[in-house]
This record gives sequence, C-alpha cells and structure tokens, in this order.
Amino acid sequence: MERPDPTATTARRRLPGWARGALWAVVAIGVLSTASYLTDMPILTSSDTSQTALRLGLPILLAALGGLWAERAGVMNIGLEGMMILGTWGSAWGAYYGGVWVGLAAGILFGLLGGLLHAVAVVTFNVNHIVSGVAINLLGLGVAKYLATLVFEPISGNPRESPSVEKFDTYSATFLSDWLGALEDEQRVVLSDVAGLLRGLVTHVSPLAMIALLLVPASYFILWRTRFGLRLRSCGESPVAAESLGVNVYLHKYIAVAASGGFAGMGGASLVLLQGGADYLENQVNGRGYIGLAAMIFGNYRPSGLLGGAALFGYADGLQLSGGGAAVLALCYGAVLLLAIIVVLQLIRRHWWAAAGGVAGAVVLYWIYWTSDELPSDLIPYTPHFVTIIVLAVAAQRLRVPKAIGKQYRRGEDS
Amino acid sequence: MTEPEPVVELTGITKRFPGVVANSDVHLTVRAGEVHAVCGENGAGKSTLMKILYGMQQPDEGTISVGGQVVELRNPQDAIRAGIGMVHQHFMLADNLTVRENVLLGAEGRHGMGRKARAELTKLAERTGLHADPDTLVENLGVADRQRVEIVKVLYRGARIVILDEPTAVLVPQEVDALFETVREMRSDGYTFIFISHKLDEVRSIADEVTVIRRGTTVGTVDPATVTSRELAEMMVGSELPSPETRESTVTDRPVLRISGLRLDADDSERAVLDDVSLTVRAGEILGIAGVEGNGQTELVETVMGMRKASAGTVELASGDGELRDITRLGTLARREAGIGYIAEDRHRHGLLLRQPLWSNRILGYQTRKPVSNGRLIDPGAARRDTERVVEEYDVRTPGVEVLAGALSGGNQQKLIVGRELSGEPVLLIAAHPTRGVDVGAQALIWEQMRAARHDGLAVLLVSADLDELIGLSDTIRVMLRGRLVSEADPATVTPTELGSAMTGAGEEAA
Repeated sequence: MERPDPTATTARRRLPGWARGALWAVVAIGVLSTASYLTDMPILTSSDTSQTALRLGLPILLAALGGLWAERAGVMNIGLEGMMILGTWGSAWGAYYGGVWVGLAAGILFGLLGGLLHAVAVVTFNVNHIVSGVAINLLGLGVAKYLATLVFEPISGNPRESPSVEKFDTYSATFLSDWLGALEDEQRVVLSDVAGLLRGLVTHVSPLAMIALLLVPASYFILWRTRFGLRLRSCGESPVAAESLGVNVYLHKYIAVAASGGFAGMGGASLVLLQGGADYLENQVNGRGYIGLAAMIFGNYRPSGLLGGAALFGYADGLQLSGGGAAVLALCYGAVLLLAIIVVLQLIRRHWWAAAGGVAGAVVLYWIYWTSDELPSDLIPYTPHFVTIIVLAVAAQRLRVPKAIGKQYRRGEDS
Repeated sequence: MTEPEPVVELTGITKRFPGVVANSDVHLTVRAGEVHAVCGENGAGKSTLMKILYGMQQPDEGTISVGGQVVELRNPQDAIRAGIGMVHQHFMLADNLTVRENVLLGAEGRHGMGRKARAELTKLAERTGLHADPDTLVENLGVADRQRVEIVKVLYRGARIVILDEPTAVLVPQEVDALFETVREMRSDGYTFIFISHKLDEVRSIADEVTVIRRGTTVGTVDPATVTSRELAEMMVGSELPSPETRESTVTDRPVLRISGLRLDADDSERAVLDDVSLTVRAGEILGIAGVEGNGQTELVETVMGMRKASAGTVELASGDGELRDITRLGTLARREAGIGYIAEDRHRHGLLLRQPLWSNRILGYQTRKPVSNGRLIDPGAARRDTERVVEEYDVRTPGVEVLAGALSGGNQQKLIVGRELSGEPVLLIAAHPTRGVDVGAQALIWEQMRAARHDGLAVLLVSADLDELIGLSDTIRVMLRGRLVSEADPATVTPTELGSAMTGAGEEAA
C-alpha cells in the first residue's frame, strides 16, 4: 500500500564527501596558478609559501579539531584561545626541561586542564558556555603571564619570553622533494605551481605536523564510526534522548571538552615547538583559537571541512608572511577569480541574490587590486582575520549545527 | 485456554511531589500478550505512573513486579533490562542523526555497529512496518515513521513489554489504523503493550483490558468489549460528559476575516507552502481546517497572525464598524490589537513562558492594552487581579497566580490561554489544535467557551487534527492538502473516515 507522505523529501544524489573535497582542491589550485600566472607572482604557489602555510595552519587545524570535539558534544568552546595559551606556556616549560616530546605532552596536559575547567563550569555547574569560555580565555592569558614571570624570567631575563627551547626535527621525502623542486624551477604553467605547492608539503615536515594531520581522519573514525563517537555526538544532538537510552551525558561531555582542551593545548605547542616559530612569547596565540573555531564552522562541523578551513587560513597567513603586501594583493586577484566561478555556479542554480552579492564582492576586490600597488603594511598581518570574517559571512548560510549546542542540560529535566 | 500469567504487576504505588500526590495506591496488572490500555484525563497521573514503571521516577510506596519477581527500577536501563521499553509521546529522537544511529545509540553492545546490527535493524523495521532507509536523517521522516523508529528502538533493546504513551495523538486516522495493525501483529508474536490514551474509541478498538485512572488512583479495570465509550469516559471524568456538538447555527452574513489568493513561498526555494488560499470567516461562524499535519495549516495560521510574511494575496479583518480592513502589511502585535485572538499550536513554544508566573503570562500579547497595561507601562497589580478572574472563570486549577506556568498540567495551561485570548474582546479567534494533549474535562470547558463566544458573534478559524472536534464544532470544513484548500465538507454529514481520506488526497480521484 502506498501512503502519501507529505514530509518525506526526495533524497538527491550528492557527490560523496571525498569527491567534493578533491574537486575543491582542484579548483583552488587552478585559481591559484591562474592568479600567479596573470599577476606574475610565483610566490602564490611557491614551495616556501606552502611550507609556511603548513606550519601556520597546524595550530589552527588543532584548534579546529578541539572545537569539533567540544561542539559535537554540544558544548561551545570559545575558550580554545585560552587553552592554546596555556598550551604554549606548558610546552615551552616542558621542552626547556625535558625536550620536545615532553614539551608536547606538557602542552597537551595544560590545554587539557583548561578543558576540564571549562567542563566543570559548563557541564556540572551549568554556566553559560560563552561566559565560561571568555573566563577561560582571560584566565589562560593571566596564568600564562604569571607563570612566565615566575619561571621564565629568572632564566631568560624577560617575563614575556621563554628561554630558547628545543624544536622538532624535520624530515623530507628527499627524492620526491628534489624531483618536485626541479619541476617547480622549470616554471611551466600549472605543473610547476602544483609541484611547488606539493613540495612544500613533503619538505621539512615535523612529526608534530604528521600527527596533527593523522588526527583528522582519526577524529572522523572515532566520532563517526565507533560507539563512543555515536554517544558523544548524541549528546550534542539530543541529550535528553541520549540520557533516556542510558548514555552518560555528563561523562561524554567531560571527555569531549577535555579532549578539546588537549587538542587546543597541542595547537599551542605547535606554535612553540616547530622550527621557524618563536619560543614562548606573550600574545603569540593572537586569536588563533578563534580562527580555529571559525575554520571548524566553515568546515560545517566536519573533519574534512575543517581541514579545508585550516588550510585556507594557514595559507593566507603563510602568504602574508612570506610574500608581504604584494602577494596579498595577488591573492585578492585570485579571490576575484574564485568569486567569478561562484557567481557562475549561483547563476546556474538561479540564486540571483547570491550571484549579485558575489559580483559586488568581486568588483570591490578587483578595485582594490587595480588601484593600489601595495596594501597598507599595518593591515597585512591581519590577512587571516579578514579571510575569517569574509569566509564566515559567506559560509555561515547552510550549516548543519549540532542541535543541542550551547544548551544547558540537567539530568532528569525535560527539554 | 488458561488465563495468561501477569507479566507486570504494580501494587499500591504512591508517588508524592512537593504539594501534590501524583499517584496514590495505584494497582495495575498486565498479562502477557495483551494490549492493556491505561485511560485517564491529563493530570490524572498516567504519565507519572508510566515514568515509575520505566524507572524514570521512583515510587514512594508500593512494589513493581515483572514476570513474577519484585524488581527495583532505579533508571530506564533497569527497566530495559527487565524487558520494558517506552515510546514517549514526545519522541526521544535526535533529528540530525540517521535512523540507524538513533536505534543503535546506547545499545551498541547488543549487536555491535556493523553488519549484524544492520541485519537486526532490517528485521525489526520489517516487523514494525518501517520502510525508511536506515541511513536517512530522522529529520526527513514524517511523524508516523518517527514513531516506528521509536518502536524499533525499543525492540532493538530486547523489550517484550512496550509502553506506548499517547501514540495516536500525532497521527491521522489512516496512520492510526496502520499502527493498530502493527500492534495486533506484534501482539500475536507475543509482545505485550501498555497503551496510554484518552481517546476512548481507539482504546476500545485495540485494548484487551482497560484500567481507568482518575485523580491519581485506579478507578477500576474493565473489559472494553462490554463497556461503551460513554461509560468509560464517565469513569475517567467521574461525571457527565462533554461532546463537541454545536447546537443551532449562529452564522451571520457579516464577514470578519477574508483571505484572498494568499501565497507563501518556502524559505529556501520557490516552492509554495501556501498556494492561492482564499477563505472567508463570518461572525458567529467556526471555520474548520482539516488536513494532515505539514500541509500548510501551521503556515496559514502564522501568516494570518503576521508571523510569516505572505508572498502574495491579502488578509482583511473587520474593524469595529464592520468594515473590512486590509491587514496584510501589519505586524503581529498590530493584528492582535486589531482584534485577533490566537491559541497557538504549540503552547510551550508560542503561547506561554513556562518559567514565568501565570500573571505575567496573562500580559503576553496584551502588553499595550488595558487592563494589564496602560499602553506604556505594565500594571502588575491589575494583571494579577485579571489573572485571578481568568483562573476563576475558566476553571484553571492552580494554587495561585504566582505559580509558574510550567507547573500546570497541559489542560490547565490551555485553559489559561483560552481565557487570556477571549479576554481581549477579539473579533476573530484563531485556534490551532485548541485541545491537543488536553484532558476530557478541560476539553469540554474549552469547547463550551468557544461555543459561547461563537454565539456572541465571534468568528473562529479552527485548525485541528482531532476530526471529531472539527466535525462537532465547525460550521464549515475546508480540507487542506499540500498548501491548497482542496475541498469542502459539510460537518453535518461527513464522517471522520471520509474526511481522513480527503486529507490524504485519496478522495481526489474519486471526487
């Protein structure tokens, strides 16, 4: 018997996630190589840029993973920033006394403690998630300052800085790297660009980067393929239902938020322990916790998406660092190209307003590119922040947010 | 044939909450392989009793025995272990998770998470008539399918005794029949059902035994084959009975609400949620809108209230002198001030602030009008006094007006809302499911009030899923299907079954 079901929607065939990811990667590379060719800025796709992007993307990636774990369990974690700060101090301290691996462990531990504090406030005492997060950011900053004055000043003579600490060794896939290097130097269109970008990713890579990248599929597996992950996500979707099925919501939230802090701490450690980065420095986190959160939201609360987000921000940061204002201008040009593609897509889908918005954005960016030779140098360091704002404004339209996020939950209370 | 063993026995259950005794000395005996109905008004203590049986609350006195052994159920897990499962009235499903994830959650240990779990799920879905793909999100399912997911969830955990808490409240007649078919089949497979309801026809058609609860205690257990619905209802209410019939027609020829060519587009596409809806409600007339939920009734009501912006068409309302005035561009507050009273479909989301006292709930929507306000400032004293009047006139059972709205039972909350909405001297009342989840006593009172107001010339736009209510109260019935008003029915002649098939579109080819 057929019954008409008014609420059933016809499921559209959609591209699987990996295919869409690959498609976007191809589009990104295409846009970058076109932009670098047309603007005569090879730095857009040089191996230096992608190497710096990887290094700078790591803290953001780890913060984003931290955000993913917490938010999937229904806890907003604005406190990532503070947990990262704790992680930077912890890793510098650990690395100074016990080497890089001890430093990494200490960084994770400090972040985890921050996470636990957030969990106590939010889960046990039902404090508003934002309030607790902001408190942890302030606390992290203060504690790190205090501890730095207490511990580092006698050694380094500067309360804002740690003594120099050991860094992770880096490894290169020599053969591959050389071959790609040769290819890059040939300066062939597209091919050299791809070679440059890839070369940066296989040259001078630290173990920490490898671990962090592996944590992305690992998080996917744990959260989506295991019983623990299902329970954790159910806490973020419908804690009442979860509790009624015997899931210990408090416990899972605790674990999730603690893990979130651990990831953030690791992100902090990656600022301190990578070659090319500073040692512990006051204010070195500089909003990366928030950017990580933004990358996670941009990635629609999914590990693959968050990887893309982190890559985007890492790239923007890496570019401004290695190429300066001129390179950022070239990136504007690339963004114009990307917007052109998006506008065409929106026109095909008949989303007139979105298309009009895209055209307006493209015009503004092109105007900036056309009228200025160099962007004001004061603004250049904030490139990733601008990218965050713009990308979030565009991406925040169609998100699937965990349903019970930020809600206070008390056992035994309905709704 | 020998009498089957009792599988569940509740003896002398008493449960006290601060200030109230929810259950006192309740006895309930359920035999294996039967459908045992538990009937009672809302607030009679059915829900508390079931929460006790499902381990969500502990009784203060009395014992529970399952399969002949006295058990102590400290939490739902204990109950599941004892073989008891519960399908909640408000579904306990996570919308963003898939069907499979919802079923497996918390019971991953039984069959793992891989192929074996999938096979078991398919088998149970077959048994309960669930045809949805296990990998679709629950969000995309209709209510009937969601309910089946809930049942599968319970069975997946190995329950043999299934509590169905008001399972038919959200279903249309055809879906109810399908559900009952499933229940009967499963009963013959040896499952036992405890069926909570206050819809007596349904109870009589499905149950093997009925236990009636009134004011927290068991009134008696009867065989539904030998009692009439009326007798059952009288056991529940303890007195004479209401029926939704309106007596003489009071319809005038003075239009109060005229909607013409109303159209509403969906948020994300150009699909029309409401398409060319035109209707007129006259003074003294109750116009009923029938339809399966999700066919645009909610949107129609919200568009008339100004909560959604119409894409095309006009809404006109009679002003004081009887002239129709275009209110299409007015906001919700202005429309209310123009004389629309509104009983919202979901009183917890739209009608009330549960964590506020009754008197401040009285102010909601009337914050610019006397007596609760002087236009600029709210007058709490007057609000309290007027709330006391509403409590008195509409028989809201509450210890006082300082009580939080959330502490009242559904029926009393609804009486408060009806009282509030009829106090503002409206010319038009929009009543969306006015007696949903409300006990028989409150239902009678709400019907009586609506009838009285109609007699005084009030125009009513009534949306309801309760077909008896629609047929009994309305002067005209229009059927809504996929955002259009497709047909009209005469409440004097139409039967619920005919109306039901018109609602699903089955009547379209026939007509």
